[in-house]
Amino acid sequence: MEYVSPEGLRLDGRRPLEMRQLRAELGAVSRADGSAVFEMGNTKVIAAVYGPREVQQRSQQLNDKALIRCEYTMANFSTGDRMRKPKGDRRSTEISLVIRQTMEACILTHLMPRSQIDIFVQVLQADGGTRSACINAATLALADAGIPMRDLVTSCSAGYLNSTALLDLNYVEDSAGGPDVTVGILPKLDKVTLLQMDAKLPMDIFENVMQLATEGCKAVANYIREVLIENTKQLENRRGV
Amino acid sequence: MVGLSVGEKHFIQGGIAQDLRTDGRKRLTYRPISVETGANGSARVKMGKTEVIASVKAELGRPNSSAPDKGKVSIYIDCSPTAAPQYEGRGGEELSMELSAALRQCLLGGKTGAGAGINLSSLSIVDGKVCWDLYIDGLVINIDGNILDALGAAIKAALSNTGIPKVNVASTAPSDEQPEVDVSDEEFLQFDTTAVPVIVTLTKVGRHYIVDATSEEESEMSSAVSVSVNRQGLICGLTKRGGAGLDPSVVLDMISVGKHVSEQLMNKLDSEIAAAEATMEEE
Repeated sequence: MEYVSPEGLRLDGRRPLEMRQLRAELGAVSRADGSAVFEMGNTKVIAAVYGPREVQQRSQQLNDKALIRCEYTMANFSTGDRMRKPKGDRRSTEISLVIRQTMEACILTHLMPRSQIDIFVQVLQADGGTRSACINAATLALADAGIPMRDLVTSCSAGYLNSTALLDLNYVEDSAGGPDVTVGILPKLDKVTLLQMDAKLPMDIFENVMQLATEGCKAVANYIREVLIENTKQLENRRGV
Repeated sequence: MVGLSVGEKHFIQGGIAQDLRTDGRKRLTYRPISVETGANGSARVKMGKTEVIASVKAELGRPNSSAPDKGKVSIYIDCSPTAAPQYEGRGGEELSMELSAALRQCLLGGKTGAGAGINLSSLSIVDGKVCWDLYIDGLVINIDGNILDALGAAIKAALSNTGIPKVNVASTAPSDEQPEVDVSDEEFLQFDTTAVPVIVTLTKVGRHYIVDATSEEESEMSSAVSVSVNRQGLICGLTKRGGAGLDPSVVLDMISVGKHVSEQLMNKLDSEIAAAEATMEEE
Protein backbone atom coordinates (compact mmCIF):
# COMPACT_ATOMS: atom_id res chain seq x y z
CA MET A 1 0.00 0.00 0.00
CA GLU A 2 1.08 3.52 -0.72
CA TYR A 3 1.37 5.60 2.43
CA VAL A 4 3.11 8.54 0.82
CA SER A 5 1.84 9.66 -2.57
CA PRO A 6 4.31 10.66 -5.34
CA GLU A 7 3.41 14.28 -4.55
CA GLY A 8 4.70 13.70 -1.04
CA LEU A 9 1.34 13.69 0.74
CA ARG A 10 0.19 11.17 3.33
CA LEU A 11 -3.19 9.45 3.52
CA ASP A 12 -4.70 12.21 5.61
CA GLY A 13 -3.17 14.96 3.46
CA ARG A 14 -0.24 15.80 5.71
CA ARG A 15 3.37 16.21 4.64
CA PRO A 16 5.77 13.57 6.07
CA LEU A 17 7.19 16.00 8.63
CA GLU A 18 3.87 17.48 9.60
CA MET A 19 2.07 16.87 12.89
CA ARG A 20 -1.62 16.59 13.40
CA GLN A 21 -3.49 19.50 14.88
CA LEU A 22 -3.05 19.81 18.63
CA ARG A 23 -5.69 21.00 21.02
CA ALA A 24 -5.57 21.07 24.78
CA GLU A 25 -7.86 22.25 27.50
CA LEU A 26 -7.30 22.36 31.23
CA GLY A 27 -9.79 21.63 33.98
CA ALA A 28 -12.11 19.29 32.10
CA VAL A 29 -13.06 17.26 35.16
CA SER A 30 -14.16 19.56 37.93
CA ARG A 31 -13.91 17.05 40.77
CA ALA A 32 -10.31 16.09 40.09
CA ASP A 33 -7.38 18.05 41.55
CA GLY A 34 -6.05 18.52 38.05
CA SER A 35 -7.35 17.49 34.67
CA ALA A 36 -6.86 18.06 30.98
CA VAL A 37 -8.15 17.08 27.58
CA PHE A 38 -5.54 16.55 24.90
CA GLU A 39 -6.23 16.02 21.21
CA MET A 40 -3.82 15.05 18.46
CA GLY A 41 -5.94 15.06 15.34
CA ASN A 42 -8.69 12.53 15.92
CA THR A 43 -7.04 11.01 18.97
CA LYS A 44 -8.65 12.44 22.06
CA VAL A 45 -7.85 11.64 25.68
CA ILE A 46 -8.84 12.96 29.10
CA ALA A 47 -6.45 12.82 32.03
CA ALA A 48 -7.41 13.40 35.64
CA VAL A 49 -5.06 13.66 38.60
CA TYR A 50 -6.11 13.01 42.19
CA GLY A 51 -3.62 13.85 44.88
CA PRO A 52 -1.22 14.17 46.51
CA ARG A 53 -3.39 12.53 49.13
CA GLU A 54 -3.25 9.93 51.88
CA VAL A 55 -2.13 6.50 50.69
CA GLN A 56 -5.25 4.36 50.29
CA GLN A 57 -3.56 1.00 50.84
CA ARG A 58 -1.20 1.19 53.77
CA SER A 59 1.02 -1.62 52.49
CA GLN A 60 1.88 0.41 49.39
CA GLN A 61 3.05 3.44 51.34
CA LEU A 62 6.58 4.63 50.65
CA ASN A 63 8.33 6.43 53.46
CA ASP A 64 10.77 8.42 51.38
CA LYS A 65 8.68 9.41 48.36
CA ALA A 66 5.22 9.67 46.89
CA LEU A 67 3.47 6.68 45.40
CA ILE A 68 2.47 7.28 41.78
CA ARG A 69 -0.31 5.20 40.31
CA CYS A 70 -1.68 5.27 36.81
CA GLU A 71 -4.56 3.67 35.00
CA TYR A 72 -5.20 3.76 31.27
CA THR A 73 -8.70 2.95 30.04
CA MET A 74 -10.21 3.02 26.60
CA ALA A 75 -13.87 3.80 26.09
CA ASN A 76 -15.89 1.06 24.37
CA PHE A 77 -16.65 3.43 21.53
CA SER A 78 -13.14 4.83 21.09
CA THR A 79 -12.11 2.55 18.23
CA GLY A 80 -13.65 1.92 14.81
CA ASP A 81 -15.02 -1.47 15.76
CA ARG A 82 -16.65 -1.53 19.12
CA MET A 83 -14.38 -2.90 21.87
CA ARG A 84 -15.85 -5.61 23.99
CA LYS A 85 -13.46 -5.93 26.89
CA PRO A 86 -11.89 -2.58 27.53
CA LYS A 87 -10.65 -3.08 31.07
CA GLY A 88 -7.54 -4.73 32.31
CA ASP A 89 -6.20 -6.28 29.12
CA ARG A 90 -2.46 -6.64 28.58
CA ARG A 91 -2.15 -3.66 26.31
CA SER A 92 -3.83 -1.30 28.80
CA THR A 93 -1.71 -2.64 31.64
CA GLU A 94 1.45 -2.12 29.63
CA ILE A 95 0.52 1.43 28.65
CA SER A 96 -0.45 2.22 32.26
CA LEU A 97 3.00 1.07 33.30
CA VAL A 98 4.73 3.12 30.60
CA ILE A 99 2.84 6.26 31.56
CA ARG A 100 3.50 5.69 35.25
CA GLN A 101 7.22 5.24 34.76
CA THR A 102 7.45 8.26 32.48
CA MET A 103 5.58 10.52 34.86
CA GLU A 104 7.40 9.18 37.91
CA ALA A 105 10.66 10.29 36.32
CA CYS A 106 9.61 13.92 36.26
CA ILE A 107 7.56 14.32 39.43
CA LEU A 108 9.57 15.44 42.45
CA THR A 109 8.33 12.50 44.48
CA HIS A 110 10.79 13.02 47.33
CA LEU A 111 8.93 16.21 48.31
CA MET A 112 5.76 14.28 49.10
CA PRO A 113 6.67 11.23 51.19
CA ARG A 114 3.91 8.94 52.45
CA SER A 115 1.39 10.26 49.94
CA GLN A 116 -0.20 9.03 46.77
CA ILE A 117 -0.88 10.58 43.37
CA ASP A 118 -3.34 8.92 41.02
CA ILE A 119 -3.26 9.59 37.30
CA PHE A 120 -6.21 8.35 35.29
CA VAL A 121 -6.20 8.58 31.53
CA GLN A 122 -9.29 7.82 29.53
CA VAL A 123 -9.16 7.46 25.75
CA LEU A 124 -12.27 8.86 24.10
CA GLN A 125 -11.17 8.55 20.50
CA ALA A 126 -8.26 6.40 19.35
CA ASP A 127 -6.60 7.20 16.04
CA GLY A 128 -3.02 6.17 16.64
CA GLY A 129 -0.55 7.72 19.06
CA THR A 130 -2.72 7.20 22.16
CA ARG A 131 0.43 6.52 24.18
CA SER A 132 1.87 9.92 23.31
CA ALA A 133 -1.43 11.72 23.69
CA CYS A 134 -1.91 10.16 27.14
CA ILE A 135 1.52 11.27 28.33
CA ASN A 136 0.91 14.79 27.06
CA ALA A 137 -2.50 14.90 28.73
CA ALA A 138 -1.04 13.54 31.98
CA THR A 139 1.66 16.26 31.97
CA LEU A 140 -0.96 18.95 31.58
CA ALA A 141 -3.17 17.43 34.27
CA LEU A 142 -0.23 17.20 36.70
CA ALA A 143 0.65 20.82 35.99
CA ASP A 144 -2.99 21.77 36.50
CA ALA A 145 -2.96 19.97 39.86
CA GLY A 146 0.10 22.00 40.85
CA ILE A 147 2.29 18.97 41.46
CA PRO A 148 5.99 19.82 41.55
CA MET A 149 7.84 18.52 38.50
CA ARG A 150 11.40 18.69 37.21
CA ASP A 151 10.18 19.60 33.77
CA LEU A 152 7.26 18.92 31.47
CA VAL A 153 7.31 15.52 29.78
CA THR A 154 6.09 15.50 26.23
CA SER A 155 5.82 12.65 23.83
CA CYS A 156 5.41 12.09 20.12
CA SER A 157 5.80 9.17 17.75
CA ALA A 158 7.42 8.80 14.36
CA GLY A 159 7.59 5.98 11.87
CA TYR A 160 9.19 4.92 8.63
CA LEU A 161 7.03 3.87 5.68
CA ASN A 162 7.69 3.87 1.92
CA SER A 163 11.32 4.87 2.62
CA THR A 164 10.12 8.08 4.24
CA ALA A 165 10.29 9.12 7.86
CA LEU A 166 6.82 10.15 9.02
CA LEU A 167 5.97 12.22 12.08
CA ASP A 168 2.99 11.50 14.37
CA LEU A 169 1.47 8.33 12.86
CA ASN A 170 -2.27 7.95 12.69
CA TYR A 171 -4.10 4.64 13.11
CA VAL A 172 -3.82 3.52 9.48
CA GLU A 173 -0.10 4.29 9.34
CA ASP A 174 0.40 2.74 12.76
CA SER A 175 -1.23 -0.54 11.73
CA ALA A 176 0.82 -0.71 8.53
CA GLY A 177 3.34 -2.83 10.40
CA GLY A 178 6.29 -0.53 9.92
CA PRO A 179 8.52 0.67 12.73
CA ASP A 180 6.89 2.96 15.26
CA VAL A 181 9.20 4.95 17.49
CA THR A 182 7.62 6.62 20.51
CA VAL A 183 9.83 9.12 22.26
CA GLY A 184 9.24 11.05 25.47
CA ILE A 185 11.53 13.90 26.43
CA LEU A 186 12.10 16.44 29.14
CA PRO A 187 12.35 19.43 26.79
CA LYS A 188 14.21 21.88 29.05
CA LEU A 189 16.69 19.37 30.39
CA ASP A 190 16.94 17.91 26.89
CA LYS A 191 16.77 14.34 28.11
CA VAL A 192 14.97 11.32 26.76
CA THR A 193 12.78 9.56 29.33
CA LEU A 194 10.81 7.22 27.10
CA LEU A 195 11.91 5.34 24.03
CA GLN A 196 9.99 2.48 22.50
CA MET A 197 10.16 0.92 19.08
CA ASP A 198 8.60 -2.07 17.43
CA ALA A 199 9.78 -3.67 14.17
CA LYS A 200 13.33 -3.08 12.98
CA LEU A 201 15.28 -0.27 11.38
CA PRO A 202 18.86 0.20 10.22
CA MET A 203 20.93 2.25 12.65
CA ASP A 204 21.35 5.36 10.52
CA ILE A 205 17.66 5.53 9.66
CA PHE A 206 16.70 4.97 13.27
CA GLU A 207 18.76 8.00 14.19
CA ASN A 208 16.80 10.13 11.72
CA VAL A 209 13.43 8.81 12.83
CA MET A 210 14.25 9.33 16.47
CA GLN A 211 15.50 12.82 15.74
CA LEU A 212 12.20 13.51 13.99
CA ALA A 213 10.16 12.21 16.95
CA THR A 214 12.26 14.36 19.29
CA GLU A 215 11.53 17.42 17.17
CA GLY A 216 7.84 16.48 17.43
CA CYS A 217 8.14 16.32 21.22
CA LYS A 218 9.66 19.81 21.25
CA ALA A 219 6.80 21.15 19.14
CA VAL A 220 4.32 19.57 21.57
CA ALA A 221 6.26 21.07 24.48
CA ASN A 222 6.01 24.55 22.98
CA TYR A 223 2.30 24.13 22.53
CA ILE A 224 1.78 22.78 26.06
CA ARG A 225 3.78 25.64 27.49
CA GLU A 226 1.61 28.14 25.62
CA VAL A 227 -1.55 26.49 26.95
CA LEU A 228 -0.23 26.57 30.51
CA ILE A 229 0.82 30.21 30.25
CA GLU A 230 -2.55 31.14 28.79
CA ASN A 231 -4.28 29.27 31.62
CA THR A 232 -2.16 30.99 34.25
CA LYS A 233 -2.96 34.37 32.74
CA GLN A 234 -6.64 33.59 32.98
CA LEU A 235 -6.29 32.55 36.61
CA GLU A 236 -4.40 35.77 37.25
CA ASN A 237 -7.18 37.79 35.63
CA ARG A 238 -9.80 36.07 37.71
CA ARG A 239 -7.96 36.92 40.89
CA GLY A 240 -7.76 40.49 39.71
CA VAL A 241 -3.97 40.72 39.91
CA MET B 1 -17.90 9.35 49.27
CA VAL B 2 -18.97 12.85 50.14
CA GLY B 3 -17.68 13.98 53.48
CA LEU B 4 -20.18 16.30 55.10
CA SER B 5 -20.30 17.67 58.60
CA VAL B 6 -23.45 17.57 60.73
CA GLY B 7 -23.95 21.29 60.11
CA GLU B 8 -23.68 20.90 56.35
CA LYS B 9 -26.13 18.00 56.36
CA HIS B 10 -28.55 20.04 58.39
CA PHE B 11 -28.14 22.98 56.01
CA ILE B 12 -28.89 20.84 52.94
CA GLN B 13 -31.93 19.21 54.56
CA GLY B 14 -33.23 22.53 55.88
CA GLY B 15 -32.82 24.16 52.47
CA ILE B 16 -34.77 21.41 50.77
CA ALA B 17 -37.53 21.69 53.35
CA GLN B 18 -37.80 25.44 52.59
CA ASP B 19 -37.73 24.95 48.81
CA LEU B 20 -34.41 26.76 48.45
CA ARG B 21 -31.48 24.46 47.81
CA THR B 22 -27.83 25.22 48.48
CA ASP B 23 -27.22 26.29 44.89
CA GLY B 24 -30.30 28.52 44.85
CA ARG B 25 -32.56 26.15 42.94
CA LYS B 26 -36.09 25.19 43.85
CA ARG B 27 -36.95 21.56 44.54
CA LEU B 28 -38.12 20.84 41.02
CA THR B 29 -35.60 22.87 39.02
CA TYR B 30 -32.86 21.33 36.93
CA ARG B 31 -29.32 22.59 36.67
CA PRO B 32 -28.33 24.08 33.30
CA ILE B 33 -28.18 21.34 30.68
CA SER B 34 -25.86 21.47 27.70
CA VAL B 35 -25.94 19.02 24.82
CA GLU B 36 -23.20 18.57 22.25
CA THR B 37 -23.63 16.11 19.40
CA GLY B 38 -20.65 14.52 17.72
CA ALA B 39 -19.85 13.12 14.30
CA ASN B 40 -22.30 10.25 14.04
CA GLY B 41 -24.32 8.71 16.80
CA SER B 42 -22.65 10.30 19.77
CA ALA B 43 -23.49 13.00 22.25
CA ARG B 44 -22.08 14.65 25.34
CA VAL B 45 -24.45 15.93 27.99
CA LYS B 46 -23.56 18.13 30.91
CA MET B 47 -25.95 18.68 33.80
CA GLY B 48 -24.24 21.10 36.09
CA LYS B 49 -20.92 19.40 36.74
CA THR B 50 -22.12 15.91 35.83
CA GLU B 51 -20.79 15.01 32.42
CA VAL B 52 -21.54 11.92 30.34
CA ILE B 53 -20.89 10.74 26.80
CA ALA B 54 -23.09 8.30 24.92
CA SER B 55 -22.40 6.61 21.64
CA VAL B 56 -24.41 4.34 19.38
CA LYS B 57 -22.87 1.72 17.15
CA ALA B 58 -24.74 -0.62 14.85
CA GLU B 59 -23.64 -4.06 13.69
CA LEU B 60 -25.37 -6.66 11.60
CA GLY B 61 -26.48 -9.66 13.64
CA ARG B 62 -29.02 -12.43 13.92
CA PRO B 63 -32.32 -11.80 15.68
CA ASN B 64 -33.31 -13.85 18.69
CA SER B 65 -35.43 -16.87 17.85
CA SER B 66 -38.01 -15.69 20.36
CA ALA B 67 -38.46 -12.37 18.55
CA PRO B 68 -37.56 -12.96 14.88
CA ASP B 69 -39.02 -9.67 13.66
CA LYS B 70 -37.08 -7.46 16.06
CA GLY B 71 -33.56 -6.09 16.29
CA LYS B 72 -31.49 -6.12 19.43
CA VAL B 73 -30.36 -3.23 21.57
CA SER B 74 -27.83 -3.48 24.35
CA ILE B 75 -26.87 -0.79 26.77
CA TYR B 76 -23.54 -0.73 28.56
CA ILE B 77 -22.45 1.99 30.91
CA ASP B 78 -18.90 2.50 32.04
CA CYS B 79 -17.73 4.73 34.87
CA SER B 80 -14.41 6.26 34.01
CA PRO B 81 -11.89 6.42 36.84
CA THR B 82 -11.42 10.09 35.91
CA ALA B 83 -14.78 10.68 37.62
CA ALA B 84 -13.58 9.42 41.00
CA PRO B 85 -10.58 7.35 42.10
CA GLN B 86 -12.80 4.62 43.57
CA TYR B 87 -13.85 3.59 40.06
CA GLU B 88 -10.32 2.47 39.32
CA GLY B 89 -9.88 -1.09 38.04
CA ARG B 90 -13.01 -3.07 38.76
CA GLY B 91 -14.21 -0.51 41.30
CA GLY B 92 -16.73 1.06 38.95
CA GLU B 93 -18.35 -2.19 37.93
CA GLU B 94 -21.04 -2.23 40.56
CA LEU B 95 -22.26 1.24 39.72
CA SER B 96 -21.94 0.54 36.00
CA MET B 97 -24.11 -2.56 36.33
CA GLU B 98 -26.72 -0.72 38.38
CA LEU B 99 -26.90 2.11 35.85
CA SER B 100 -26.99 -0.25 32.85
CA ALA B 101 -29.80 -2.26 34.41
CA ALA B 102 -31.80 0.85 35.29
CA LEU B 103 -31.40 2.24 31.77
CA ARG B 104 -32.44 -1.07 30.22
CA GLN B 105 -35.55 -1.04 32.34
CA CYS B 106 -36.29 2.54 31.45
CA LEU B 107 -35.61 2.37 27.71
CA LEU B 108 -35.97 -1.19 26.46
CA GLY B 109 -39.25 -2.32 27.98
CA GLY B 110 -39.98 -5.97 28.75
CA LYS B 111 -38.07 -9.10 27.76
CA THR B 112 -40.09 -9.47 24.57
CA GLY B 113 -39.30 -5.89 23.67
CA ALA B 114 -42.89 -4.82 24.14
CA GLY B 115 -43.30 -1.25 25.27
CA ALA B 116 -39.74 -0.31 24.37
CA GLY B 117 -38.90 3.33 23.89
CA ILE B 118 -36.74 2.33 20.95
CA ASN B 119 -38.74 0.80 18.12
CA LEU B 120 -37.10 -2.63 17.80
CA SER B 121 -39.12 -3.61 14.74
CA SER B 122 -37.47 -0.83 12.75
CA LEU B 123 -34.12 -2.59 13.29
CA SER B 124 -35.22 -5.77 11.56
CA ILE B 125 -33.88 -6.36 8.05
CA VAL B 126 -34.92 -9.91 7.12
CA ASP B 127 -37.27 -11.59 9.60
CA GLY B 128 -35.48 -14.30 11.53
CA LYS B 129 -32.25 -13.87 9.54
CA VAL B 130 -30.63 -10.47 9.73
CA CYS B 131 -31.17 -7.52 11.98
CA TRP B 132 -29.26 -4.59 13.38
CA ASP B 133 -27.62 -4.98 16.76
CA LEU B 134 -27.52 -1.59 18.36
CA TYR B 135 -24.83 -1.07 20.96
CA ILE B 136 -25.35 1.92 23.19
CA ASP B 137 -22.29 2.75 25.24
CA GLY B 138 -22.32 5.35 27.94
CA LEU B 139 -19.27 6.76 29.65
CA VAL B 140 -19.42 8.78 32.84
CA ILE B 141 -16.66 11.39 32.81
CA ASN B 142 -17.53 13.49 35.81
CA ILE B 143 -19.95 12.76 38.62
CA ASP B 144 -21.95 15.32 40.53
CA GLY B 145 -25.18 13.48 41.12
CA ASN B 146 -28.11 12.51 38.90
CA ILE B 147 -26.10 10.35 36.49
CA LEU B 148 -29.12 8.38 35.36
CA ASP B 149 -31.03 11.38 34.02
CA ALA B 150 -27.90 12.66 32.28
CA LEU B 151 -27.27 9.26 30.68
CA GLY B 152 -30.89 9.04 29.56
CA ALA B 153 -30.61 12.46 27.97
CA ALA B 154 -27.27 11.61 26.34
CA ILE B 155 -28.64 8.39 24.87
CA LYS B 156 -31.64 10.23 23.48
CA ALA B 157 -29.39 12.86 21.92
CA ALA B 158 -27.01 10.24 20.52
CA LEU B 159 -29.87 8.26 19.00
CA SER B 160 -31.28 11.36 17.37
CA ASN B 161 -28.10 11.87 15.38
CA THR B 162 -27.59 8.22 14.55
CA GLY B 163 -27.83 7.29 10.90
CA ILE B 164 -28.54 3.63 10.22
CA PRO B 165 -27.17 2.65 6.79
CA LYS B 166 -29.72 1.49 4.28
CA VAL B 167 -29.46 -2.23 3.55
CA ASN B 168 -30.29 -3.90 0.26
CA VAL B 169 -31.09 -7.58 0.48
CA ALA B 170 -30.44 -9.93 -2.41
CA SER B 171 -33.86 -11.49 -2.92
CA THR B 172 -32.62 -14.63 -4.63
CA ALA B 173 -31.25 -16.38 -1.53
CA PRO B 174 -32.99 -19.65 -0.63
CA SER B 175 -35.10 -19.46 2.49
CA ASP B 176 -32.87 -21.72 4.61
CA GLU B 177 -29.64 -19.83 3.98
CA GLN B 178 -28.36 -16.56 5.34
CA PRO B 179 -29.28 -13.92 2.73
CA GLU B 180 -26.63 -11.70 1.24
CA VAL B 181 -26.89 -8.12 2.25
CA ASP B 182 -25.33 -5.01 0.89
CA VAL B 183 -24.80 -2.16 3.33
CA SER B 184 -25.02 1.21 1.66
CA ASP B 185 -22.22 3.70 2.30
CA GLU B 186 -24.18 6.71 1.26
CA GLU B 187 -27.80 6.31 2.21
CA PHE B 188 -28.73 6.56 5.84
CA LEU B 189 -32.03 6.29 7.58
CA GLN B 190 -32.48 8.68 10.45
CA PHE B 191 -33.45 6.99 13.64
CA ASP B 192 -36.87 7.86 14.97
CA THR B 193 -36.42 9.12 18.50
CA THR B 194 -39.80 10.68 19.17
CA ALA B 195 -40.75 7.64 21.25
CA VAL B 196 -37.53 7.59 23.28
CA PRO B 197 -38.45 8.57 26.83
CA VAL B 198 -36.65 10.92 29.17
CA ILE B 199 -35.72 9.84 32.65
CA VAL B 200 -36.58 11.89 35.69
CA THR B 201 -35.15 10.90 39.04
CA LEU B 202 -36.87 12.16 42.14
CA THR B 203 -34.68 11.97 45.19
CA LYS B 204 -36.37 11.91 48.54
CA VAL B 205 -34.61 13.92 51.24
CA GLY B 206 -36.50 14.20 54.49
CA ARG B 207 -40.18 14.61 53.74
CA HIS B 208 -39.69 16.22 50.35
CA TYR B 209 -38.35 15.14 47.01
CA ILE B 210 -36.14 16.97 44.58
CA VAL B 211 -35.06 16.58 40.95
CA ASP B 212 -31.48 16.65 39.66
CA ALA B 213 -29.79 16.12 43.01
CA THR B 214 -26.09 16.92 43.36
CA SER B 215 -23.69 14.44 45.01
CA GLU B 216 -24.07 16.25 48.33
CA GLU B 217 -27.83 16.05 48.16
CA GLU B 218 -27.72 12.41 47.06
CA SER B 219 -25.69 11.55 50.14
CA GLU B 220 -28.66 12.70 52.22
CA MET B 221 -31.29 10.76 50.30
CA SER B 222 -33.49 8.08 51.83
CA SER B 223 -34.64 6.70 48.50
CA ALA B 224 -34.96 7.71 44.87
CA VAL B 225 -37.48 6.87 42.19
CA SER B 226 -36.54 7.11 38.49
CA VAL B 227 -39.44 7.39 36.08
CA SER B 228 -39.04 7.29 32.33
CA VAL B 229 -41.81 9.10 30.52
CA ASN B 230 -42.33 9.40 26.78
CA ARG B 231 -43.80 12.24 24.78
CA GLN B 232 -47.35 10.99 25.18
CA GLY B 233 -46.92 11.20 28.95
CA LEU B 234 -46.91 7.43 29.31
CA ILE B 235 -44.61 5.79 31.82
CA CYS B 236 -42.14 3.44 30.13
CA GLY B 237 -40.14 2.29 33.09
CA LEU B 238 -39.62 2.73 36.75
CA THR B 239 -36.81 1.98 39.17
CA LYS B 240 -36.42 2.66 42.84
CA ARG B 241 -33.07 2.94 44.51
CA GLY B 242 -32.02 3.49 48.09
CA GLY B 243 -32.75 1.42 51.16
CA ALA B 244 -35.62 3.22 52.84
CA GLY B 245 -39.15 2.07 52.17
CA LEU B 246 -41.73 4.30 50.61
CA ASP B 247 -45.43 4.58 51.30
CA PRO B 248 -47.36 3.48 48.18
CA SER B 249 -49.25 6.76 48.08
CA VAL B 250 -45.95 8.65 48.10
CA VAL B 251 -44.73 6.57 45.17
CA LEU B 252 -47.84 7.47 43.17
CA ASP B 253 -47.42 11.11 44.10
CA MET B 254 -43.75 11.03 43.03
CA ILE B 255 -44.70 9.45 39.70
CA SER B 256 -47.23 12.13 38.94
CA VAL B 257 -44.75 14.87 39.83
CA GLY B 258 -42.11 13.09 37.73
CA LYS B 259 -44.50 13.01 34.80
CA HIS B 260 -45.14 16.72 35.15
CA VAL B 261 -41.42 17.56 35.35
CA SER B 262 -40.64 15.27 32.41
CA GLU B 263 -42.64 17.51 30.03
CA GLN B 264 -40.39 20.46 30.79
CA LEU B 265 -37.28 18.31 30.55
CA MET B 266 -38.41 16.78 27.25
CA ASN B 267 -39.00 20.22 25.72
CA LYS B 268 -35.75 21.58 27.07
CA LEU B 269 -33.84 18.55 25.74
CA ASP B 270 -35.47 18.67 22.33
CA SER B 271 -34.54 22.31 21.89
CA GLU B 272 -30.99 21.65 23.12
CA ILE B 273 -30.61 18.71 20.73
CA ALA B 274 -31.94 20.78 17.84
CA ALA B 275 -29.54 23.60 18.72
CA ALA B 276 -26.60 21.19 18.96
CA GLU B 277 -27.42 19.71 15.58
CA ALA B 278 -27.75 23.16 14.07
CA THR B 279 -24.26 24.14 15.26
CA MET B 280 -22.93 20.83 13.90
CA GLU B 281 -24.29 21.65 10.47
CA GLU B 282 -22.82 25.15 10.54
CA GLU B 283 -19.39 23.68 11.07
